[in-house]
Amino acid sequence: MPFGSVVFAFAVGALIVGATGANPFSAYAGLLCGGLGIGCTQGENPALEISNTIVFAIPLITAGVAVALPFRAGLFNIGAEGQLLAGSIACTAIGIKFNTLPAPILLPMVLVGGMAAGALWAGIPGVLKATVGAHEVVTTIMLNYIAQWLLRFLIIGGPLQLGPGTSKSLPIGEGARLATLLPADNSLIIFGLPASVYRVHTGLLIALAAAALFAFLLWRTSFGYEIRAVGQSQKAARYAGVSVRRTIILTMVIAGAFSGLAGAVQIAGVDHNLTDKYFSDTTGFDAIAVALLGLGSAVGIVLAAVLFGALHAGGAIMQSDAGISSNLVLVLQALILFSIAANFVGAIRRGLPFGRAPAALPPELPPAAGLMTEAAAAPPEPT
Amino acid sequence: MAHKHFRFLGVVAAAMVLTMACGGTSGGGTPTKTYKIGLVTDIGGLNDKSFNHLADIGLEKAKTDFKIQGDVKESKSGDDYVPNLTDFATKKYDLVIGVGFLMQEAVGTVSGQFPDIHFAIIDGAGTDAKGVDLKHPNVQSLYFKEQDAGAMVGVMAGWLEKNGKAKKNQHIIGAVGGISIPPVDHYIAGYKWAAKMEDPSIQVKIGYSNNFTDPAKCKGVAKSQIDAGADIVFQVAGGCGLGVLQQAGQSGVYSIGVDADQKDADPSVIASALKKVDVATYTAIKNVVNNQFQGGALTFSIANEGAGYSIDNLDVPAELKAELDKVLGQIKSGALTPPADIPA
Amino acid sequence: MSGLEDIFHLLFTANLWQATLAAAVLLLLPALGGTISERSGVVNIAMEGMMLTGAFFAVVADLAFHNAWLATGVAVLAGALMATIHAVVSIQFRADQIVSGIAINIFAAGLTVFLANRIYGLQDVGHVGPTEGLPYIDIPGLDHIPFFGKVLFQQNVVVYMALVLLVLVHVVLFRTRLGLRIRAVGEHPQAADTAGINVYRIRYSAVITSGLLSGLAGAFLAIGISNTFVPNMTDGRGYIALAAMIFGKWTPFGAFIACLIFGLGQAIYDNNSIIHVSPYLLSTLPYILTLVVLAGLVGRATPPAADGLPYVPGSE
Repeated sequence: MPFGSVVFAFAVGALIVGATGANPFSAYAGLLCGGLGIGCTQGENPALEISNTIVFAIPLITAGVAVALPFRAGLFNIGAEGQLLAGSIACTAIGIKFNTLPAPILLPMVLVGGMAAGALWAGIPGVLKATVGAHEVVTTIMLNYIAQWLLRFLIIGGPLQLGPGTSKSLPIGEGARLATLLPADNSLIIFGLPASVYRVHTGLLIALAAAALFAFLLWRTSFGYEIRAVGQSQKAARYAGVSVRRTIILTMVIAGAFSGLAGAVQIAGVDHNLTDKYFSDTTGFDAIAVALLGLGSAVGIVLAAVLFGALHAGGAIMQSDAGISSNLVLVLQALILFSIAANFVGAIRRGLPFGRAPAALPPELPPAAGLMTEAAAAPPEPT
Repeated sequence: MAHKHFRFLGVVAAAMVLTMACGGTSGGGTPTKTYKIGLVTDIGGLNDKSFNHLADIGLEKAKTDFKIQGDVKESKSGDDYVPNLTDFATKKYDLVIGVGFLMQEAVGTVSGQFPDIHFAIIDGAGTDAKGVDLKHPNVQSLYFKEQDAGAMVGVMAGWLEKNGKAKKNQHIIGAVGGISIPPVDHYIAGYKWAAKMEDPSIQVKIGYSNNFTDPAKCKGVAKSQIDAGADIVFQVAGGCGLGVLQQAGQSGVYSIGVDADQKDADPSVIASALKKVDVATYTAIKNVVNNQFQGGALTFSIANEGAGYSIDNLDVPAELKAELDKVLGQIKSGALTPPADIPA
Repeated sequence: MSGLEDIFHLLFTANLWQATLAAAVLLLLPALGGTISERSGVVNIAMEGMMLTGAFFAVVADLAFHNAWLATGVAVLAGALMATIHAVVSIQFRADQIVSGIAINIFAAGLTVFLANRIYGLQDVGHVGPTEGLPYIDIPGLDHIPFFGKVLFQQNVVVYMALVLLVLVHVVLFRTRLGLRIRAVGEHPQAADTAGINVYRIRYSAVITSGLLSGLAGAFLAIGISNTFVPNMTDGRGYIALAAMIFGKWTPFGAFIACLIFGLGQAIYDNNSIIHVSPYLLSTLPYILTLVVLAGLVGRATPPAADGLPYVPGSE
């Protein structure tokens, strides 16, 4: 992961904070406390802060994979949020309808159901792109909105609603829930707090498995080779005998499955029901930044997800301890992205007076820029 | 304004009455410790000019009256409820106040994890995922009979329509709600019931913006009601609802504010339905400071002056004033009971 | 079904179309900006961020100076500044333009609230007074035309500006030498360079123009339609404008049609008090419609050939 960019972002962030008359040190101290549990001064519990960070990071790992995979094929999956919502909705619906089934049956059902819903949500743009050349940025954005409004329809006055006058769904059955890593016991005290406070759940293992699967798929399978080939050059891939159309569709479907899984895991592991907050959820968009920051590698994505989770958790503490709006976190995220994209760090290094040869620059970004031209301009010819 | 003065005295009196009713006289000397009070706001944020804003006012007043440290955490989304409440509980605050119905489940969960910490929640109870009150002894619910306040402004709206004193006088009025949740719908229920009581031929157009923060979203809904003939529009949508007031002003009709006195929000505001969230917050804090915290439910209504109404930018004819006073008395005495559910 | 009947009747009211046009303009301005930018070869998905920035600074300036026009000027400049960042990062540093665009959106979302917090504290951002917003003007005479008078001539001043800009952008892009140059730079920058056209200058100007237009849209939203700043008040409109631009095949009038469809959806939704169909299902209609149209009728959407590729002289 390009650490230089992170350092750059924090440096510029400190300047912005200082320029508006606030104290960057107390701001960052708040972030550090809330994100990593380090240096907490107001009585926060470090273990709890770390737990919150991980909880925020879990969906970002899987969703990050869902964005990173299509990147390799030259596709921009801006629809990860809609696919994630589709997965959440499916998981909840199944978890409610079959809520009496035991865990060994119901849990796989809701997770697979979530993956299927996400796959469908991404498959539609994939097919449209591969057949009539419909631009995937537009179609996925449309599906994002459709998913949002479908959610509202279902939980406000709709079939999944908990009861009249509520804006949330019924809870999913016990069997559909992912266990927390620590026992959810109010009386067992761990690290000074009741164990149930730590919400880290087994979805973490699923997320890590997803990242590993992504790496395996991309680098160890022939399909992964095809994905990368199409991403480099559709023309060359076609000459090499790769069915570009099939690759595009399949890549989107798999990516959608990952997003849907992220959504399902979030319901099964943390929320246990659908609420209106999902209408304004931004996980799918944060995942884009995670995928970019992670430079498309599994390890990078996990690290980036943890960083973003830490920033999310840290922001809340920073706001209450240092009085600085948690939105500063968004500014930092943006600066990181700018720095990576523009390779500011490399430029700074090149400007060093001693003419020191620059250390290895961050590796090339996946060929995302090509997507608006080649991928959009010429949909694949039938093989 | 004498009206306001009287109301303020009523507020203080109510607070004292409620405190004493809660459990014995306030004995003991001045507390020597600094009580730490944590306020967790709902997603509307503090600048909604109504709901969250009022809770903060209650906190600020308590700060001047008692030796307390008061901190506020704004919830940016539903994801923040549990972490915000937990953070205050972890730091062993003396009272953690959740502002809003949407926080019920979060309060239920966290209050179960920290049985030694006092919690209060406005507009709800500590519940489980199904909305069932867990009745934790460390949770105090602060309920409001919003329908009382809604009824009073409904009387006003109905009377104006019946007597041709509104702007278009087509016997059509409107209400714009945020989301269809009980606190919102109670207001609308009282409004419609009372308006029909005053003017049986009245039509009440009810719409929802599904948003509590963005005024632009409520403006469109209000405009559609106004275009359909409504000339008095009641906003029940927090910060978003300010757009309703703005649209009414632009369209030259009347509007009604909610929760706090919104007289200054727009010249078109003729009345506001009041929900004394500041009183409730203050009362909860006062109880803790006086070591008189008790779990269970407190209900604020017209009867104990926890709800009410204000007359804003309108010269009210004497007959209307008399009608308002009459209905107020009837609700207070129990002769009239506004419904909690929106009548057909 | 009474719900459909309600909608049917609604479609014949002038009020509905009046609201539709206003909502469409809010999307049209950034879509025009995006079109210009992309025609010159710079992918621009930062309209959302530029619009939000414009909205914020419009409110700040109006609260400080109590003058809607001055505030709009500030907003437009703020949008242009954001655009400049995107331009520098994309053109000078040759960054991936999609990444840069997304970064701008995140940056704007964070910076606006951060600054609001620093300037106004945790409390009210403040509301612009009723006389200090961008005014609604009924064009005398024309506004009394039945039906169309209400729709076209009883609007906010920005709506009129936007309609003029729509025609202007179309004419410039397709009927002037400047437009030819812009399009040349977008299709074959190397050839354009050889022909003596300053590729960098055209691209910078195009991107900054998109910032100006998005900033104007932000001002319209914040001090024309609304009267305060709310975090994320643009609410995805920049992304919808992007979709409209692609839907319209990178032409101003094509984008306008798409904007009208989305505006119509918004206007129908606002009428949920008087129609008896689930407002949530209703809201999905414009998006479903777009999908259907893209799937069948619109055909291939071909962006300018060099769209998204940083220009490196002598690379071809």
